[in-house]
Amino acid sequence: MALDFTFTEEQEFFRQTIRDTVNRLIMPRVAELDEKEEFPWDLWKEFAALGYLGLRHEEKYGGMNTDTITQMIFYEELARGSCGFAMSVTMQILMGTYFIARFGNEEIKQRILVPAIRGEKIGTICFTEDQSGSDLGGTRTLATKVDGGWRINGRKQWITNGPIADFATVMATVDPKLGLKGLNFFLVERKTEKRDGFVSGQRLHKLGSRCSVTGELVLDNVFVPEENFLGEEIGKGVQYAGEILNEVRVMTAMNALAIAKGAMDDAKGYAQNRIAFGNPISKYQLIREKFAKYWAWYEAAWNYAYKCAWMIQNRLPCTNECMMAKYFATEMCMYAVEEAMRIYGGNAFCTEYPPQRYWRDAKFLLYGGGTHEVLCDYLGRVFLKD
Amino acid sequence: MEIYVLVKQVPDPEAIVKVKGETELEIENKYFTNFFDEIAIEAGLKVREKFGGKLTALSVDNRRADALRRAIAMGADEAVQITDPALEGSDPFGIARALAAFLQGKPFDLILAGRQAMDDDAGTVGLAVAEALGIPHVHGILSLEVDPTERVVRVAREIEGGKEILASPLPALLTCQKGLSVPRIPQVMNVMKAMKAQIKKVDLASLGIDPTEVGPQGAKVRVRRYFPPPRRAAVRMIKEDFPENVKTLVRLLREEAKVI
Repeated sequence: MALDFTFTEEQEFFRQTIRDTVNRLIMPRVAELDEKEEFPWDLWKEFAALGYLGLRHEEKYGGMNTDTITQMIFYEELARGSCGFAMSVTMQILMGTYFIARFGNEEIKQRILVPAIRGEKIGTICFTEDQSGSDLGGTRTLATKVDGGWRINGRKQWITNGPIADFATVMATVDPKLGLKGLNFFLVERKTEKRDGFVSGQRLHKLGSRCSVTGELVLDNVFVPEENFLGEEIGKGVQYAGEILNEVRVMTAMNALAIAKGAMDDAKGYAQNRIAFGNPISKYQLIREKFAKYWAWYEAAWNYAYKCAWMIQNRLPCTNECMMAKYFATEMCMYAVEEAMRIYGGNAFCTEYPPQRYWRDAKFLLYGGGTHEVLCDYLGRVFLKD
Repeated sequence: MEIYVLVKQVPDPEAIVKVKGETELEIENKYFTNFFDEIAIEAGLKVREKFGGKLTALSVDNRRADALRRAIAMGADEAVQITDPALEGSDPFGIARALAAFLQGKPFDLILAGRQAMDDDAGTVGLAVAEALGIPHVHGILSLEVDPTERVVRVAREIEGGKEILASPLPALLTCQKGLSVPRIPQVMNVMKAMKAQIKKVDLASLGIDPTEVGPQGAKVRVRRYFPPPRRAAVRMIKEDFPENVKTLVRLLREEAKVI
């Protein structure tokens, strides 16, 4: 009886609740959120007021301290509504605040984490630069030790929430020659009249996930005090990043599952109503095969992603598994959104119909948590013990 | 104010319902809280927020207690599930009997219920509870004003061509119609509370109800047979040219569809 695939009654109740919330707050606005390409402040405030931004954090800071499986249920249901909004929210819940909660001192937690959980301050994490992303060893943003703190110089790109962020966890190297062993995290706040900090650079216009705003952060000789060093030892940044990478990857898998399901559920309705040659096109074998293949792959990806969530929850080693879950769910999603585009025929090519939105949103998942080229190269190496 | 809200868990409108045998339905395991009951919970919470007191959600259900958890997530103080194998197969009067037995002797001021459940659409339980308790009731209210000092409620309900304004002494039972309130989205803090909440369970023996008064034996309503809705016939295309196609259409509407 050790193998058990059931959710608890509480987890199912939670899923029902978040699904209902998404249906009411996000679903009616999905097309508008995509079209406007603006951060939806009103929706953000509503979500923050409901308390969802504290899902992962300790109760004493206003959080809920939920288990990993409950968090994954949340990510899956949220992305079913709007992948772009989900990006902004998950950045706040997970990557944007994790290291502050883990390493920040009490004053920092009260000043940054507590308002972040209330949605009053917006956070982000900065890994990517023009020459590095999946290749973290190539990070060039430089942190130099000075009296009482650090000076940081560099430009960070592809920063989710970047244009609106109040604070950022910035990855910087103490010496580019050290590669992965030189990396560290620093808390940097936005520059104000009273405080040194980052400024926003260029904002990016994206193909999909458009209501999460993405852009560049510029760190021009920014001074941060000693307590903003987020870690216990210098040079452990990659190791610390590893603590959340599994979650980030399974969360990305959840986004992929949600988009795939949304695309194919819509395509199902379309196929059952679109008449060609005297029948709904769902009656034709070539169309049915698309649904069958999607369904089988979706179920496999969904079960595997939740297995990984369970492994994280039970603190089992699962780096390879979480990489595979992200890779497989996202590739399944690529198949689903592509086939949905075909099921809709020429209508898929107009913005009036939804499949193009799923298709655009889905492409964003290829890169976060490691490109599939990098993941597969690594997994292949592990498999072959090369 | 001591407020009770009667809630029911009903099949999700998207759940697949099949007729299995003459008097049995097979319902996909997808349930949610009855829409009108959420309106009643919201109305009750508003009254409690204004005048203080306590709101208890009450349900008769032998399965899961999701509707009660939903009530707690929205802000109910307590939830009670009346559950007993003998209740299986009860009609609305059996359900009402159990609810009334629980409420009898409790110091309630206001009982709220949905105007009907979205599964059987009977709209009977709320009113039957009021009758059993011997208190006034109003069906399908659209507005609610409570005067706790005068111990009066003023309500409006829709009637043909207008609205009827009524006043009733408390305690009273009111069933709630769409438009009375917009059910709140629960805060995640309350959702977590609801996930962990111990739902108080009550059986028939503790209510002093003889099992034969409920269930199929005590039922006034007997289901003789379920019919699935008729399948929509295939679309038939009339391929003739004008004006023959119009003549054919009229003939088919008259002779086959029998609608003109």
